[in-house]
Amino acid sequence: MPTYWLRHRTAYEYQYPVDLASHLLHLRPREMPGQRVVSTRITCLPAPDHHTEAPDHFGNPATRLFLAAPHTAFEVTAESLVEVSFDAPPAETPPWEAARSAAHDAEAAEFILPTSSIPLLPVTRDYAAPSFPRGRPVLLGLMDLNARIRRDFTFQAGVTSITTPIAEVMRTRRGVCQDFTQVMLSALRGLGLPARYVSGYVRTRPPQGEPRRRGADQSHAWVQAWLGPRLGWAQLDPTNGIVVRDEHVLLAWGRDFSDVSPLRGVLLGGGAHSLTVNVDLVPEGEN
Amino acid sequence: MFPEFTAGRDEMVSGDGRLRSHWRGVMGAVGSLDRSALAERGERLSRAMQEEGPASLLPGARSGWRLDPLPLPLDGAEFESLARGVAQRARLLDAVLSDLYGRQELLSEGLLPAPLVLGSPDFLRPMRGPAPGPWLNLYGADLVRGPDGAWRVLQDRTGRASGLGQALENRRLLSSAMPEAFRAAAPLSLSPFFELWQESLARLATGAQAEPAIALLSPGIGDPHWYEHVVLSRELNCALVEAGDLSVRNGALFLKTLAGLQRLDVLLSRLDAHTIDPLDQPEADAGRGVPGLLDALRHGALSCVNRPGASLGEMPALAAFLDKLAPRLIGEALELPSLPTTLLASGDAPPRLPDDASAWLFRPAGDGRAGERRHRDPARVEAAVALPALPMAPALEDGTLAPVPFVLRVFAVHDGEKWQCFPGGIARLVGPGAPLTGRLPGAGWCKDVWVPPDPSEAIIGPAAHVAPPLPIRRTAGAIPSRVADNLFWLGRYVERLDRGARLMRASIARIRRGALLPREMVELSVLAHCLNEAALLGREAKPSTGSLSPLADALRRQAAPAMRHLQDRIGQLVESVRDRLTADMHATFTQTLRAAEASLDAAPPDLPELARALVPSLRFANAVAGMAAENMVRGGAHLFLELGRRIERGQAIASEIATALDGPPQRIEAGLRLVLELCDSAITYRSRYLNVLQPAPALDLVLADPSNPRGLAFQLAGVATALGEVSTERNDAAAQEAGRLLSLAQGITPRLLDAADQSRAAAELPPLLRHIASEVGVLSDMVTRRYFALLPAPRAVGVDTGGDALVLGA
Repeated sequence: MPTYWLRHRTAYEYQYPVDLASHLLHLRPREMPGQRVVSTRITCLPAPDHHTEAPDHFGNPATRLFLAAPHTAFEVTAESLVEVSFDAPPAETPPWEAARSAAHDAEAAEFILPTSSIPLLPVTRDYAAPSFPRGRPVLLGLMDLNARIRRDFTFQAGVTSITTPIAEVMRTRRGVCQDFTQVMLSALRGLGLPARYVSGYVRTRPPQGEPRRRGADQSHAWVQAWLGPRLGWAQLDPTNGIVVRDEHVLLAWGRDFSDVSPLRGVLLGGGAHSLTVNVDLVPEGEN
Repeated sequence: MFPEFTAGRDEMVSGDGRLRSHWRGVMGAVGSLDRSALAERGERLSRAMQEEGPASLLPGARSGWRLDPLPLPLDGAEFESLARGVAQRARLLDAVLSDLYGRQELLSEGLLPAPLVLGSPDFLRPMRGPAPGPWLNLYGADLVRGPDGAWRVLQDRTGRASGLGQALENRRLLSSAMPEAFRAAAPLSLSPFFELWQESLARLATGAQAEPAIALLSPGIGDPHWYEHVVLSRELNCALVEAGDLSVRNGALFLKTLAGLQRLDVLLSRLDAHTIDPLDQPEADAGRGVPGLLDALRHGALSCVNRPGASLGEMPALAAFLDKLAPRLIGEALELPSLPTTLLASGDAPPRLPDDASAWLFRPAGDGRAGERRHRDPARVEAAVALPALPMAPALEDGTLAPVPFVLRVFAVHDGEKWQCFPGGIARLVGPGAPLTGRLPGAGWCKDVWVPPDPSEAIIGPAAHVAPPLPIRRTAGAIPSRVADNLFWLGRYVERLDRGARLMRASIARIRRGALLPREMVELSVLAHCLNEAALLGREAKPSTGSLSPLADALRRQAAPAMRHLQDRIGQLVESVRDRLTADMHATFTQTLRAAEASLDAAPPDLPELARALVPSLRFANAVAGMAAENMVRGGAHLFLELGRRIERGQAIASEIATALDGPPQRIEAGLRLVLELCDSAITYRSRYLNVLQPAPALDLVLADPSNPRGLAFQLAGVATALGEVSTERNDAAAQEAGRLLSLAQGITPRLLDAADQSRAAAELPPLLRHIASEVGVLSDMVTRRYFALLPAPRAVGVDTGGDALVLGA
């Protein structure tokens, strides 16, 4: 079973001292079938005056840090050792309409609703429709849509931000993992198929013959789509056009990014701030 | 247009035209009044509302809350069974909420549709999880009579359930406007209920402190229910606070007070639960809530009632399921049912209207904040509520009594063991077009609700919560910094208003004399200069020998509106410290300020009238000073009002005298005369020195004599004393600074007496006086930074998710 060593470091520097800060972290990988968290540790500097751990509504681990002494820099590092091997999705799945008509199920109901960052748009629904002809098994439809997004959209960093609307991504057909994930979620939910936003990491490979660059990995986003009450959720990565098996590490899932953002804070004071993020996802045995 | 409501049962008269027995007491008393007497009572009530009640000084808040002189008496036996039903319903809704925010068995068992709950805007995801303590402390229900004549619930109020403060005020006003009816019917008193409520809040304390600290969290004076918050905080003996006063430290909630941070145990929150904590609610405006509040709540370091998220119990479609939920959750049949309600999926047509209903009300299925519509929107998921004919009660309109439909709101509080129903309520009279459901305005036309006394059914709470004896306190420590700040500025602005009125009147008196002597021209330019420094006149407004009319114009066009603006600011400050003022003080402030505003608003554009129109402003300032001196306990609120006034006056006196003395020594006598006039000290001077005017005695009186309340020394001594009292340090730096300024001022007298030429020495004073004025300003800044500095507004920071995740190699 592939094992990964994961390190996610975030460093803030502030123009003026911050008097009081609170941070909400979704940085501990979630324990779930197919993913075992061997160990996980969060360190921060300066040390918080108070911290709490409580799972959120979706069952994701959430950490809250509170700093009450003035500080001009803040650094938090999450390190985990995780074993990953998600099962392959079932070979046979019911027609997609069956999943749609069961979508009022308590487990799935909230994942067909629009959110402020993922509205249900005719343009995404119409884009997805050809993947779901009448009676097609739901997983085949999902994989087809997943592959089409990979094919039709160009990966290009820096042309979008977390606030870029889906409609614009549909026009430009460019963006990053979060944009493609949001397009797919809007499309599936528009068809009445429950789907979740997943936050985590994906393994990257250095170009042939070059060593791994430290801290060069990134946060990643993908989709969990519902196959029905019996079969549960399948994980699809539209950025790479693949089914998630053993090259992803999952942190948390929710309706959209705002439910699972890895680190979010509220500050009193501080003025302008600068931010550095480094992520390493290293398969055990490599360095 | 909105249809009118169908008239239902007449509450006062039975079908055969006879007065119902529980109305006899009230109507016997009312019957003894003739038509004009009753109309007069209605007038008296409106006047009382204006003068001492909810109609506040805030713009736009003066009308809106209207109380009918006739109460709505309830039948004793009927109220008893209603109270049982209300208590059961509150228990049931508490159980529903603890399931929906906990294990969600109602969803997994299919007893409630998951999309309804999970799609409701009132489902607060951060509140999901094990909850220490109950979900509801306060519950309200809006009731109408069903076709069978029994009360039915139109809407549950599990969020803020506003109205108890209003009910209390209604009772106070009505009992004094309608004493005969009150004596005849002798309704159950409301105050024991508030004691019980206060105890119930104290019981919710986490036990972290020997004396539980309770606060009412209000959005502030902009909220339509602000007056209710003031009344409740007073009645429940708790601090009235705003989000900006609070911070979470080390997992607990603290209030910033003058004496530092004070821990809070229980919060009665009137804040919108959607924006209460910007840490957990990323879509909330970071400045409106308290970061970490929900975490403190989650971990039991704080109780907050009703728990944020409790308004989920107001989902309109929930009513369609309560019948089935009651046996499942509390093992009982529902005693007080809702109106017949049907959940309509999108595309569903409404069912056939029951014969005994008058109309369908359509409401968004999951959103209790939205009001009703009369037409089905097939695209939406809606709750269809079968509305019966509304109950009717006689109300006074245009001098006559006529039946008006109403909705009855009742309340209950959980005392720690069981639910206790409020022995009263509010009957909201609804005219055509008035919404029946959803979020209601902060005001409206209503009736007080009277429950007859029944000795066997008096409210009996659990044994009184035994509080440890309080240590004696005589300090101001617990005043929230924001309140002290508002009092300080209230003191400053009232003084500024007084000052402005005096300067304007002195100027107008001279302009009216016409052809002025050179001495009078000098005085007038000094006055114009002082008005400029008081920010009431522009710099260009100066008298010139050619014509006085530009100055006269400026007084009308600039100074008068600036004074009016000052009155508005004062009005807001009075409202913002309303919970620190007794009812009498508030009434006096309000009435005199309104008179001052009205008089300026009505002043015709001629100078004599303007001078007269300023008199009520002076009267207002005197009223504030008098009330503060006679009615406010020294220390605390009084201290800051006093500090503001003394600082403002000290600064103004020093700079006005500097301006008056600024000139050649030969003209010093004119300056002295004006100084005595401005400091209201001419009579005192004459009684001490007769008609001989000399610099040393005149300036001693206005600068150095500590017994002259219009003189500089008096102000500086007052500032030093107040700062010494408010500080916890023995040798407070600010108080010492005020003392230093005082000795500077007092050194002026010997300096003048020793001078060979007093006039020359007096003419050299302005730089020293300007220095004192600016040092008083520095002192004011010191006070502000030290005592009032609020927590800075919080803001959010976030991290982009993988802006640029790398793509896997092919």
